[in-house]
Order: sequence, then structure tokens, then C-alpha cells
Amino acid sequence: MAADVPKVDALYADAPCGLIVTEADGGIRHVNRTFCGWTGYEAAELVGAKRIQDLLTVGGRIFHQTHWVPLLRMQGAIAEVKLELRHRDGRTLPIVMNAVSRSHDGHELHELAIFVAEDRHRYERELVREREQAQQLLATYMEAQQALASAEARLRLAMEASEDRARFAEQMVGIVSHDLRNPLTAIKMGMQMLASPTISGEKRERVFVHMEASVERARQLTNDLLDFTQAKIGSGLSVAPKPINVHRVVGEAVHELRMSFFGRRIVHVEEGEGVSSADPHRLTQLLGNLVGNAMAYGSPDHPVTITTRVDAEHFVIEVHNWGTPIAASLLPVLFEPMTRGIEAGGERRSVGLGLFIVKDIMRAHGGRIAVCSDEASGTVFEMVFSRHGERIATG
Amino acid sequence: MNIEARNNVRVTGDGPATLVFAHGFGCDQNMWRLVAPAFADRYRVVLFDLVGSGGSDISSYDRAKYESLDGYADDLVDLIDAFGKGPVVFVGHSVSAMIGVLAGLKAPESIAAHVMIGPSPCYIDDGDYVGGFSRDDIVSLLETLDSNYLGWSRAMAPAIMGAPDRPELGAELTNSFCRTDPEIARQFARVTFLSDSRRDLDRRVSPSLILQCTEDIIAPVAVGEYVHRALPRSTLRLIDNVGHCPHLSAPQACIDAMNDFLATVDLRDGR
Repeated sequence: MAADVPKVDALYADAPCGLIVTEADGGIRHVNRTFCGWTGYEAAELVGAKRIQDLLTVGGRIFHQTHWVPLLRMQGAIAEVKLELRHRDGRTLPIVMNAVSRSHDGHELHELAIFVAEDRHRYERELVREREQAQQLLATYMEAQQALASAEARLRLAMEASEDRARFAEQMVGIVSHDLRNPLTAIKMGMQMLASPTISGEKRERVFVHMEASVERARQLTNDLLDFTQAKIGSGLSVAPKPINVHRVVGEAVHELRMSFFGRRIVHVEEGEGVSSADPHRLTQLLGNLVGNAMAYGSPDHPVTITTRVDAEHFVIEVHNWGTPIAASLLPVLFEPMTRGIEAGGERRSVGLGLFIVKDIMRAHGGRIAVCSDEASGTVFEMVFSRHGERIATG
Repeated sequence: MNIEARNNVRVTGDGPATLVFAHGFGCDQNMWRLVAPAFADRYRVVLFDLVGSGGSDISSYDRAKYESLDGYADDLVDLIDAFGKGPVVFVGHSVSAMIGVLAGLKAPESIAAHVMIGPSPCYIDDGDYVGGFSRDDIVSLLETLDSNYLGWSRAMAPAIMGAPDRPELGAELTNSFCRTDPEIARQFARVTFLSDSRRDLDRRVSPSLILQCTEDIIAPVAVGEYVHRALPRSTLRLIDNVGHCPHLSAPQACIDAMNDFLATVDLRDGR
């Protein structure tokens, strides 16, 4: 035979949930035994003595004021609100709560049912933790994406630079081959002539001179290439400065250049006196390049003037020629490799490395180079060196 | 920018002056359902939701803008400019009372008078100042918000149960009332409870009515008294009420106090 169903009072008192009745202001009117058991309070300590909000954590109290009260007032009921109660011993007790507001003979009472929700609480905390982890992972992922994007950008730049270099190298090979072909062709022709049994002694002499000039041009070209490679790929051209008399070094170079450019006038002007520090071979090379250009691009009817000037701190070398000025568009890139002016009848050709090498010789000396070019005063390259081998501020 | 959609603006009533009502942290303009209609016969009544709350345009929520009360005050200045007709009395609950003060300072002609319900310029105790909470309390609140993420978000969309007889609230509003995006609620809580507007309270603030509940843990009586002392042109009215929402639990007392105050304010159009 089935046992009797317990009386309603007992059902209320030991219901499998905490049951509370409060005034509209939260004052506790009734609590059941289950609620007391869960929270550690005696009913007498609560009824008429505490408000439900007194049992909430601070966060819960604010929630009570900002959400619970308005919701209950406006909707008459709230369901599945999760909160934390403070147990009598101080620990917190996660709960889920339903509440209704009911009028009893015009008197408003709030009826609450609560369930302990430790497991749900733990589960939610795990979810929150997982969510935070996911957010962190996302942040890490976004960071990695950004790093990847910037690495890709850098790679793209590097690739573009290397493509530029490759294109440059191909062009240079083309130009050098082309430029080497002329002297080599001349040498080959000379050799064929020399091989002829009928060649006269006088003609043989002339052929030799031409062949020598051609060999010199080829040698110059390969020297330039070597210097260029060193300047471009290595740590720059090397210089070995030593105490020199600039006038004398330049004077000797001018002497040699006059032999090379027979029939053209080269004037050397000397100003000031004193010993300077520089690499004499590099100065000769630099002068060769500049005078070569002056001969190629300058007016053949006027002299090329080289001035060496020595003062207390500096020495200056100037190379001046008359003739068509350097195009304004060319000036900004004049010292870049493979920049060329108007060809002067193809007589004198270079790879376009000459001025690049000049600039690097100046850099290696810590000096400064400037160029002025116009119709009225011609073209002048001015190079300023420290006499004592110090670096001169550029610009 | 469409302010009407952004702030879910509702205009009712008409009159020579405008009452603009702003809800506090937690719910939305429905909080005014028991109070606002009592003024619609004599005033133009403007209700709205703060961006991020209620029926506001959530896509307008910009974390950077609403990182301080200033962002809300800027919105309020725009809103008063667009919807205010004649002198404007701003009625702000809780944190919105301070948003009103900031808006009044930004646009000094915009608000002729303030009604502040449960205002608090600073919730955290600071030396002699009693805000009602310790810094630890607020940190614990914010932690509760963080760790109770699911619990709170669920609470924002409560299911209706039983058959409570509540004619005040139409069925269409159940479940949307007090619903907020949890992320926004979290930031708004932080901005609200860590705000300190005490330096903004001085004689620059237009005549004000402070409605202070006798028992309010969020804005204790000491705070209402502080606000009253700080504002030379203010009136303090205590309302016998437990809780932070007298406009819900003691609406008639609020209406009476507001009517008394409005009778003292010069609401001729001086703008």
C-alpha cells in the first residue's frame, strides 16, 4: 500500500529547492528548511531580520537593484537568474533563482525559489575560461597574421630589390660585352694585318699603336668592372692614403693623359702648397675617368682645365670643360652606375661606371664631390678632400 | 547619423517645454512607464535608450567612444539639440544624472534644469567621501560580471512564468526589457561604477532636483547629500523607498516631487 503523501507544510519546508517569501523591499518573511540548510542560517536569523539582498554578494546586490527589482516590477516574474548567495560562514553559493511578484489582498509579496547550481557554475566558469582562451588564441592568431603580412611585405620588397639587381647585372653584361667587342674587333683586325706577309714596316708600326690603344681600352673596361664590383658588392673601394704632393700627383697624371688624348689641350693650374693625405693611384684613376668624360662629351675646340688647390684644411681638384652642358634630367642620377650622356660619336665609350667609381673614390676618401654644368660656364666637377684624411660633411 | 534610430527615441505629449528622460545602468526607457505619462499632458516628453541598451542601434556601439561617460554625454547633447523644443528639463536616473551634468557642461544652454534620481558622482569611497562601495566591492562586481557571463546574459532575457497580472507591460516587451549584449553590459558597468564626476558638480550646473531614496545601496543618502552640497542651485527631496528605482517602486512620490520642482523652475524659452 502506498504511503501517504506528506502534508503541504512538510512539502514546503523540505522541498527540493529553497523557498523564500519577501516583502517588495526584500525583507524576508518566510524561508523553508532547505534554504536554511543550504545557507547555514536559522530561520529566526533571517525572518524579519534580513533582506534577501543582504545575502547577496556585492555584484549580486547591484544586479538586484538594477535588474531584478525593475524586472519583477515590470514583468511580475523573472526566471533562471543566476546569482551568488553568501553562506553564513562567508563562502559563496552559486544559485539559480525564479521569482514572482504576487499581490495578496493588495499586499505585494515576492516569492522566490532557488536551486543550488554548483555544477552549472563550474561548467559556466569552464565555458568562460574556454572563451577567454579562445579569445587569447584569436589574438595570438591575429598577431601572427600581422607578423606574416609584414614579413610578406618585406619579402616582396627584397624580391623587387633583387630583381632590380638582376636586371641591372644583365644590362651591364650586355653593355660590357658590347663595349669590349669594339677593341677586340680592332685587335683582331690588327692581328690579321700583322699576319700579312706584305705589310710594310711603317704600317706595322701604326697597327701596333692602334692595337695597343685597343688593348688599353679593354683593360680600362675590365678594371672599371672590377672596381665597380668591389664598390657595389664589397665594402666599397679600398684606398691607401699616404702623404703626397697633390700638384705633383695630378701633374704626372695630366702628363700621361696628354699622351692619351693627343691633339687635345689639357691645362693644369696649381694653387697653394702643402702635403696632403690621399691615395695617389686612386687620384690618378679619378682624374682619368673625369678627363675621359670631358674629352668624350666636352667641346674639342677648347681646353680641359684641371685645377689643384691646397689650403689650410682642404685640397680641391676641379675638372672643367666647355661644350654642351649635362642635361638637367641627368644631374640627379649622374653618379649612378650606367648613366650616360650623349654619345660623342662612339669614339670614347665606357660602361657608364666611371662616375660611379669617382663617387666611391670620394666616399672612400671621406671627401665630397659636386658638379655644375651650364652653357655659360661649362661643366665643372669639384672634389673637396680633407688634407688630413678626415671626413668632410656632405651636402 | 540618425539619432532617432541610434537612441530609439520616442516622443509623446506636447507643451512649451521638453522633459528628456534617461534610464540608468541595467534596463531601458521602459523604466519610465509609471512616471513619464504623468507629464505628457503638459510637456513634450522624450524617451530614449542609451546606445548599447534596450532598443538602441547596437551597431552604433563604439567601444572607444563609450569608454567614458563623455561618449554618452555627446549623444545626449545631439539628442537634445534634435528633439528638444523650448527649455529642456533633463530627468536622469542613476548614472544618467551624471551624463546629464556632463552634457550640460558641454552645451551650457542645452539643459534648463535637472531632475536627478538616485545620482552618484562616484560609487567608490574616497577619503572622507562616502560612495557606498569600496574599490574591492567594485572590482568584485566587475569580476562577477566577467565570471557570471552566462548567468547575466541569461538574466537579460528572462522567460515569463506564472501568470502575473501586470498591465503595465505589454507582452511585446517581455524578454526584451533589460536585455543587453553582455559585452556591452560589462563595459557599461565598468564605465559607470568606476566613474568619478565629482569635479563636474558645481554652480555651473543648472537648477537641480535630487530625488534620494531613504534606503538605496547604490546611491546611499550620504551621496545624495554630497550632491546637494556640491550643487548650489539644488533641492534635495528624500523619498521613502527601499531600493534604487523609486520611479518604479514609488512613482507617485517621484511625480509629486517633480511637479513641485518644475513649478519653481523658470521654463520660459530663454534659449
